[in-house]
Formats: sequence, structure tokens, C-alpha cells
Amino acid sequence: MSVTAAMPTDVPRAPQSPGAVALRRLLRHGNFRIGGTILGLIILAAIVGPWLWPLDPASQDLGHRLAVPVWSAKGTWLHPFGTDQLGRDYLARLLQGARVSLTIGFLTVLLSGVIGTGLGVAAGYFGGRIDVAINFLITIRLTLPVVLVALVVVAVYGGSLPTLIVVIGLLLWDRFAVVTRSATQQLASRDFIISAQAIGSSIPRILFVELLPNLIGPLVVVATIELAHAVLLEAALSFLGLGVKPPLSSWGLMVAEAKNQLLFRPWMIAIPGTPLVALVLAINLVGDAIRDAVAADGRA
Amino acid sequence: MLRFLVRRLLMTVLVVAVTSVVAFSLVHLSGDPAAAMAGEGASPADVESVRKTYGFDRPLPEQYVTWLKRVFEGDFGRSHYLRASVAQVLADHAPITITLGALAIAFAVLLSIPLGVLAALYPNTLVDRLAVGLAVGGQAVPSFLFALLLIYIFGVTLRVLPISGSGSWAHFVLPAIALGYYATPAIMRLTRSGMLDALQSDHVRTARAYGLPAWRVIIKHALRHAMIPVVSLIAVQLGFMLGGSIVIETVFALKGVGYLAWQSIQRSDIEVIQAILLLIAAAYALLTLAADVLNGAIDPRIRVG
Repeated sequence: MSVTAAMPTDVPRAPQSPGAVALRRLLRHGNFRIGGTILGLIILAAIVGPWLWPLDPASQDLGHRLAVPVWSAKGTWLHPFGTDQLGRDYLARLLQGARVSLTIGFLTVLLSGVIGTGLGVAAGYFGGRIDVAINFLITIRLTLPVVLVALVVVAVYGGSLPTLIVVIGLLLWDRFAVVTRSATQQLASRDFIISAQAIGSSIPRILFVELLPNLIGPLVVVATIELAHAVLLEAALSFLGLGVKPPLSSWGLMVAEAKNQLLFRPWMIAIPGTPLVALVLAINLVGDAIRDAVAADGRA
Repeated sequence: MLRFLVRRLLMTVLVVAVTSVVAFSLVHLSGDPAAAMAGEGASPADVESVRKTYGFDRPLPEQYVTWLKRVFEGDFGRSHYLRASVAQVLADHAPITITLGALAIAFAVLLSIPLGVLAALYPNTLVDRLAVGLAVGGQAVPSFLFALLLIYIFGVTLRVLPISGSGSWAHFVLPAIALGYYATPAIMRLTRSGMLDALQSDHVRTARAYGLPAWRVIIKHALRHAMIPVVSLIAVQLGFMLGGSIVIETVFALKGVGYLAWQSIQRSDIEVIQAILLLIAAAYALLTLAADVLNGAIDPRIRVG
């Protein structure tokens, strides 16, 4: 970028960095605006919601069991979204569920991202036997049925948040590995990597300073896919009764607890179900937009 | 071709062997199987005698080898909860899961391929957007929620289809839709992009120039070409479904392998769990092998490399 600095000021603006171009393209992307807004709202609700609505999501108000939400004829503002079978406030449980979903989602992606990227970059950069071994590891991971393995492990170690994060994180790294591996293979023969090797840069320097910044586009795209995947997986595990455990709340758990109310109180499923769908949809929309933004300049 | 086949086959055997170790250790590192088998009110002496009888006092590698030997003889052990041989229990449950998987994949194919073709024929129109939107939206709905929605609409409100059990063919309709729906976005996207490429290819242009009827060009020349990668995707998706049917079977109380797995996990019925883990992994490995061989047979470039 020293070239830019040396240029006279009256020359038209220098071409923007690829990152800036992608960002500008992203902000104008319709899907990003919609998805980003929904995602932002859910994150905001998860962070400040429990402050604004400080009712304890675990406390049971046995006098008001199965209260109806405020928009039906007999609803009251005491429990805007009604209460569940144990008289727990549905809004408070919903807000706690948002925290649980997002915490599990983001932390598992962080964990699986580190594992998958590490393996993928090592396989792509070093090739040879390391590549064969890591490829084999990826195949093994793909062969294991995710839901079943997660259920078995959670059944054994219990459904505490750290356990769930570690289990899901250890299961969802495969796509990170596959994508970073092929991206690294392509980059490894590019001039800037070869020059770095030629001037005797250390391997960590090449990997972290030269290679990794160029993987950010594809990594972010995979991260959104796996974030959605992790949120859905947590919901499914909790729904099956082997995920988040009561008295803690989770949207999947709320649906499971309300399953028998489907006939007479369908809103009890719709209330936790809607934000769950909205969250995953928003993540997918943001991911699609990011893919468009980084792929268009041929760097993906 | 033969070398490619042999190499892929060896790889599959190796993969299944490693997954068998994983399946075994997952179940056995998980606390005390003897205590689980003896039940809640068992005395320490009872637990000890169960441990001796089933060989749980042996070192794990030895137990693994014994287990594997028996598996090769078709003996998957005994379910201590159901008091029957695991092989028998699995044989009772497998037909339901296989039927469900086949119907689900049929539903997925019948929905996604026409949609993908339509989307490719009219790219960037309302039809295309609807199809892509359906795929994006569909991926966002968790399977259990979609299943409950189907139950609410068809079972509770319209009362046209049974919602629980596996007595008749009608019992499979909703579960197959709920399970199959998850394979549609991937198949549809691949069909769409394959068709877009095929429609612009020289041989389709030539066929059009010959004055062949449009439907014939689309189906016989373009679609056939576009289906090549789709076929192997379908095989892989079927493998995913075997693992994913656990949620759907549980919601609809379909007594297949997935439901059995869920129940067995709650009963700590470890012999059943490890057999199911191994079988699902092996089925997935075989299906991906089939997909690879199919691809290799169609496209010679894959065989090298």
C-alpha cells in the first residue's frame, strides 16, 4: 500500500481494497439487510431482554399455569406470552432461550472453526501424508451420524451448556476443514506464498500472516452455515430431551414441553418456534449475502 | 477402473473399522455398563455378577475384539432391556426405517428435480425465486417443528392422515414428507445449476438447432446431463436421512431404528446403541462408496487422482 501513499493527491482515488469492496457490496445486498436486521434484533433481545423483562424464567407461578398470551381474549400483561404447564413465564423463558441458542451457536462455531481451519490449512499446505491422514479424519467424521453421536455423548455426560458446546463443536468442523483445505491448496501455489517461502519466512508466519487473511471470505461463509447448523442441532437435541436441561430454557426444549398442547394451545409451539425459524433464516440470508459479496471478485 | 474400485473399497473398510472403534468407545467410556444393566435397585454384588457375566471386567481392547468377532458372526449381543438378541430387535425395526428412507427420498426427488428444472428454465423470474426461496426458507425450519406443523395441519385440523404409529401406508406419508423435505434444497440447487450449464452447452444447442421438440431437448439432452452429479448427491442424502430419521421417528412414534436408538439411549441399552451406531455408519460409508463408484463410472476424470 506504500504505492498509494506516494501518489499525488489530484489523481482519482486509488482502487479500494478487496475487503472494502466486499463490505460495500454486502451493505447494499437486500438479503443482508433483511437477515442482518432480524439477527441484530434477536441478539439485542438476548442481551438486554432479560434486563427489561426481569421475571425469573425458572420460577413457577402455580396459580397461573397455562395462562393464555395477551392477544387472546383472557390474556393479561402479567404474562404477555402466557405461561407453560408449570406456570413459568413464557416471555422470560423465550428470552433465556435466545441467550442459550446464541451462546451455543457462536461458541460451537468458534471451536469447530478453529479445529476445522487448523486441519484444513495443514492438509492443504503440507499435502502428502498429512493431507491423506486429515482427509481420512474428515471421512470418519462424515461417516458418524451427528444427531446420534451427540445424543449418546449428552446422555452420558449430561446436558450442561459446556458439554453441549464441546460436543457440537467437535462434530461440526468438517465443512471448515474441507473448504479451507481446497482454498489453501489453490493459494499455496500463488506468487505471494512462493515469495514468502523464498525469502525464508517461517511456516507460522506464512500460515498466519500470508495465508489466513486470504481465507477470511470462505471462512465467514462456512461459519454462517455452521452457526445455523449448530442452532438447529441444539434445538433438535433439546427437543429430544437430551440437550439443554430444565430449569434452563431453550427454544427446542420449549417446543418439546409444549408438544402435548398442540391440539388446544398451538401458540405454545408457535411462540418458541417462530424466533427459531427467524434466527436460522436470518443467519442463512446473511451467509448467502456474504457469499455473493466475497465470491464476485473471484477470491472465494 | 479396477484399481479405483479396489482403492475405494479398501478405504471404506478402513473407515468402517475406525467408526466401529469410535462406536464402541463412545458407548463404553460412558460410565458403568454393568450398573446400567443391573438396574436401579441392584446391590453391589448383583452389579459385580453382571460385570463378570458380560465380561465388563476385562480390559476395553479385549472387550472390543470380542465384540467385533461376534459382530462378524452376525451376533450383535443381547438387549438387556428388551431381553432379546440385538440382531432380532434390529431386524424388527429396520424395515420401517428403510421404508421411511425410501419414501422420503422419493418425495425429495419428485419435488426437487421438477422445481430445479423449472428454476433453470426460467432463471431470475418469479418461478426461479419461488423455488430458491422455498429452499432457503425450508432449510431454516427445524425438522421437528416442520413435523409438528404437518401434524397440526393434516392430522389435527384436516384430520386426513394418521399422526402416530406405523400401522398402514398412510402412517408413512407425513413422516416421509417431513424427512424428505430436508434433502430437497440441496438436490434442487444442484439440479438447477446443472441444468443451467447443460442448457448452454453445445450439444443442447445442436439438438435445438435440429428442431427437436423443446421438451425432448430438455428431458433427453439437458436433464440427463444435469443428473450426473445429482444421482450421487441422492445417495449421500439417503445416508444422512438414516442418521436424521431419529428426530422424525420420535415425533411420529414410528418404531424404526431411529426411535429404537432414542429409546435405547434413555434405557442405557448399550449393546443396541453400539450396533445402531455401527450399522448407520456402515450404511453411510456404503452409500458414499456407491456414489463415488457411480461418479467414477460416469466421469473417467474422477478415477485418476
